[in-house]
Amino acid sequence: MKKNKKHIINTEPAEANLFSYRKYAFTQFKKNKPAWYASWLLCLIIFIALFASFIANDQPIYAKYRGKNFYPVFSQHWLIKSIFNTNAVDSTINPETGYWEKIQFDITDWRTLELEKVIWAPIPYSPHKQDIYNNDFASPRSKQYMKNAQGKIVESPWFFRHHLGTDALGRDVLSGLIHGTKVSLLVGFFSVIIAAIIGVFLGSMAGYFGDNRIKISRASFWFSVLGIIPAYFYAFHVRRFVIADAFADKIWWGCVQLLFSLFIFCAIVYLFYKAGTLLKNRFFAKQVSLPVDSIVSRSIELLNSLPRLILIITVSAIIKERSLLILVIIIGFTSWTEIARFVRAELLKVRVLDYITAAKASGLSNRQIILKHALPNALAPVFVTVAFGMASAILIESGLSFLGIGVPEEMVTWGSMLNAGRQEFDAWWMIVFPGMAIFITITIYNLIGEGLRDALDPKLKN
Amino acid sequence: MMLLVSLMAFWISASAPGDPVEILTNSGTAQGSSNNISVKKDIKDSLRNKLGLNKPLFYFSLNSLAECDTLHKIYDKLTRNTLSRLTAKYGNWKEIHAYYTAILNLQQKSLSLSADTLLLRCAADSADLMQKDEVNNSLNQIINETNSLLHTYEHNFIQTKIDSIKNIIYDQNYLNCFKAEADNLSESYMQMIANSTGWKNYVPVVRWHGLNSQYHQWLKNILLKGDFGISYTDGQPVITKIWNKFLLSSRLIIISIFLAYLISIPIGIASARRRGSWFEKTTGTILFMLYSLPGFFAGTMLLYWFANPDHWVWFPEGGSQPIDIDLSQMNFFERFAYQWPYMVLPIITYTYSSFAFISRIIRVSMLEVLSQDYIRTARAKGLSDNRVIYKHALRNALLPVITLFVNIFPAAVGGSVILETIFNYSGMGLAGFDAIRNYDYPMIVSLFTLSGFMTMIAYFVADLLYAFVDPRISY
Repeated sequence: MKKNKKHIINTEPAEANLFSYRKYAFTQFKKNKPAWYASWLLCLIIFIALFASFIANDQPIYAKYRGKNFYPVFSQHWLIKSIFNTNAVDSTINPETGYWEKIQFDITDWRTLELEKVIWAPIPYSPHKQDIYNNDFASPRSKQYMKNAQGKIVESPWFFRHHLGTDALGRDVLSGLIHGTKVSLLVGFFSVIIAAIIGVFLGSMAGYFGDNRIKISRASFWFSVLGIIPAYFYAFHVRRFVIADAFADKIWWGCVQLLFSLFIFCAIVYLFYKAGTLLKNRFFAKQVSLPVDSIVSRSIELLNSLPRLILIITVSAIIKERSLLILVIIIGFTSWTEIARFVRAELLKVRVLDYITAAKASGLSNRQIILKHALPNALAPVFVTVAFGMASAILIESGLSFLGIGVPEEMVTWGSMLNAGRQEFDAWWMIVFPGMAIFITITIYNLIGEGLRDALDPKLKN
Repeated sequence: MMLLVSLMAFWISASAPGDPVEILTNSGTAQGSSNNISVKKDIKDSLRNKLGLNKPLFYFSLNSLAECDTLHKIYDKLTRNTLSRLTAKYGNWKEIHAYYTAILNLQQKSLSLSADTLLLRCAADSADLMQKDEVNNSLNQIINETNSLLHTYEHNFIQTKIDSIKNIIYDQNYLNCFKAEADNLSESYMQMIANSTGWKNYVPVVRWHGLNSQYHQWLKNILLKGDFGISYTDGQPVITKIWNKFLLSSRLIIISIFLAYLISIPIGIASARRRGSWFEKTTGTILFMLYSLPGFFAGTMLLYWFANPDHWVWFPEGGSQPIDIDLSQMNFFERFAYQWPYMVLPIITYTYSSFAFISRIIRVSMLEVLSQDYIRTARAKGLSDNRVIYKHALRNALLPVITLFVNIFPAAVGGSVILETIFNYSGMGLAGFDAIRNYDYPMIVSLFTLSGFMTMIAYFVADLLYAFVDPRISY
């Protein structure tokens, strides 16, 4: 018993003294007050984006009409629709005539119905809904009108006012801001994920292997180079119409087909590579090094030397299809260079350290060393770049929508609202509020990025 | 490197949608509304020859055995698409070509014969008096169906179209003269399906075109003659069009980068010197805010405040110079006197974002340098604070800023698209944006190449500056 207790006492301080880098970084991050508050604000923004249709919606969350209960908001989303089995159309009996009357949720103006009980969304407007009584830029301070349940046009009560005004078509700005959060966050998040995947992969290859660590036989090298031709042929040329049709059908399906083609491409090149290893002739089997680092560095330079915005605009002009997915992919594919550069630099430092040599000596494969031992130590700058990358992705997306390209026309985003405000200078609310929304979001990401940098890299902290 | 950029630019222009010749002829000959199709076709053909569009795209091409190597000579992109889809399906170019010529024959014949001639013929043949519009109607139907056949590649649709053409022709006596072509068409289609050699699609063939390719011609024109081609929108040579815009833009960019460095270096130094003071804290916060402030928002706000009759009309609303005054006769200073109000707001917008960025970097690098041993040594020697900072620390602290120069330059060129659109400043960015909206690809390509080239220059300048600041580096 006594022995046991002693054992416990002995272990506890040992665990407490164990230096945990993660814990240290977290406490450092928490000490940085602006960054800490910014991350809470980010959570709030994510919350707004997730529940946008519950926060701003012209359909009530719950309504009782002619003795029947409705949950219109729940019927909008396909996921909720399938869970709760609700329809977007319902019908009631008109007590005066005795006939069934159909209510289609999305085109009904719920405010004109004599509802017995109702729970509105906090902002009772949808971003696309045009308000004919307050169109042509209703100011937040001016008189606003609405049709009430008695069918009369009255001045809007406080709850039904457009608190941040409307645009030319009478669409509510506040509601647009709230729903625009979704677009901004989605673009920021997914394009950075794409960029991070490409950047970490290429960066670690370049940094770890350098120019002369991958050695393949001469035959394999030339076979692989030769193999690119048939690989391209079978993967992309033969399947070009399959891919084009898939893209015309559904964009995600096109992406799947494209990935499949990429798989075929890699498989064929790999086959040629393997075929090259079979040649045992002295000339063919001579080892040559593959200049991975040079290739990656050159392509980083190439991509950096082109103005990114012009590149993105050009590509999105060629792909006439406007869609969020394509925009995300384009931004992702053009912004991996920063991450790749950092990862490469870190791995160049890490790969000569003793523990990597030890890992190699103990017979671990390159893949294991990179993934388990080298990369985790190089990820700190990646997190920092990811935070800054989100800010710049959001900036690019809003800049593109500001120019009127990129996202689909009917999609309300912060940038497109700002663009509408630019056309009509009297409507200051169309400039100030969306602009502030972009500004605040970017500030939040930048603050978090700074905080992460200070927390993760104690050397940089001054 | 430049070659890669040019390759990429060329690839973009080649894969761009829309036929340049169509655009050019539509924009160029808008005033002369000659409806004569054959004249138009001649013009188009000569234009194609001039632009070299009847040549293969690249030095070599990778095709399947089934495909013909002269497909690029069919200009209509939709027809080309149809034919290559048919090839991908049936894999017998000979039969497909026969089918294609059968369609063309029918089309030619139906276009060449008018209702009158048909009526004349049938007046001799039959006693019925035909209604002219009825004849016209069925003739038009044939023309429509044959035209749409050129753009159809799905079996069912082709079948119904051929059937309907045959029905029309066999129904009416006066369309007898089309029978041969229609039969030929359906016969050739049957042949195409019957003799399909799909396996040929899976045999890769590399064809060598040599120097007789579009890319070679394009590259040659640029390198030897400095000729980037002609703009699709107005037929002007791109290079003269771009050069003026480039001057306008580069003026903005260079002034604002210069200003940014001029402001940010003292700010960065000052905030590094007074570490922890209120000065450092406030400038730090302001700089951070400016850094996060999107340029297009700031630009719009500036316009809203300073170029708006409701507030102040200090600066003009947009443009690059007064419209009603001819500036071409004046000397530089007089011209500048008229132009500067148009440049103030864009320069402010350009400058603030980069100077916020630069001064933050300078501050960090200055702090790093100030903690070094040799600075402590210099202080211990009793040197004055100014001497330590400006003589010993500044040069080393400037190193990372020079690297920035390389990044700021392309960013400024790219950012000019948005800013010049806001201020309606007719520089390179606005030209590029207009070009993209009008699918003016020679413009886009040369813009692309030019900005890549300018970045190269920025790299070079940065290298020179490195050598100037850091004596350890020498070339």
